[in-house]
Amino acid sequence: MMATQSTARNSFIVLQIGSGRFALSADAVVELSAPVRLHTFPHTFPAVVGVIVRRGRIVPVYDAASLLAGRSFSHHRFYVVARRRIGQASELGAMPVSGECELASGDMRPPAAGSPAYVRGVLPVGEESVPVLDFNTLINAYVSPEPGTAGEGASS
Amino acid sequence: MLLFAVAHQKFAIAADSVQEIRSTDSLAGSAVELSHPVLSKVRHTLEHSGHTYYVVNAGAHFDLPVSRPGLVLILRQSRVAVLIDYIERMTEIAAPYPLPLAFAGAERRWYRGLTYLDDMVIPVVHAGGFLTAQECEQLDRVTNSTAPQHDLQGVVSA
Repeated sequence: MMATQSTARNSFIVLQIGSGRFALSADAVVELSAPVRLHTFPHTFPAVVGVIVRRGRIVPVYDAASLLAGRSFSHHRFYVVARRRIGQASELGAMPVSGECELASGDMRPPAAGSPAYVRGVLPVGEESVPVLDFNTLINAYVSPEPGTAGEGASS
Repeated sequence: MLLFAVAHQKFAIAADSVQEIRSTDSLAGSAVELSHPVLSKVRHTLEHSGHTYYVVNAGAHFDLPVSRPGLVLILRQSRVAVLIDYIERMTEIAAPYPLPLAFAGAERRWYRGLTYLDDMVIPVVHAGGFLTAQECEQLDRVTNSTAPQHDLQGVVSA
């Protein structure tokens, strides 16, 4: 039981968003979904590009690329679906992923000084250090961006 | 539910919230242009069955590209009539899905929820969401203080 929990804590999904690679803790990820149809309708929150339908649920899709990579990408290979906390409630949210996804294990290290709040730490993957994202903080950064963070890539 | 379209975007609205559907061509003489419009989405009033309705251009309300409205939905127990492009059809749907919490702005007032129909997610419009109480007060102040100008073509070009 403990071993399983420990493994889960140290497993990460490594994603390509734009030209950068980022990681999410595997236990935060609900699903990696094929690029199903994006449905759009008028609304006022620019961070949401539309919704997808997954397993009978309507899931908002966040334009993470414009925050992480500085611009949106029209082509993507997957949606990563994760749970987002909103006040006392929570709901699923999705981000488009533009490249391959990998499952990686390792110990997360503290983030570099001055990293955006949505970077929980860095994960060594080969010779690369991949920023580990906090999905919730990342989306909240859209609502009230930290000065100087919006649109800046966090990939090292 | 009535499924309607504005600027190629589909919406649903509860059929029992609509009192009447009229062609914009049939409104000659009953539409009055506001001489000092305070809201870009409301440029006319409509006299109908002894009541005055504020005519809301749905395209402007939802910030959609300009389209050519062909119909007006006169809402029941409301002071609002809504300009739309066309009615697609009437259909029965299950209870709408709640609007995800990610949508935290004016859309929570616009929509009762979302429905999934024919492989499309369609917002279910809240009939009371076209004008806020504050917007109604703004319009009341203008319409009470200015003389009306009858406009035979205005609604169509709104």
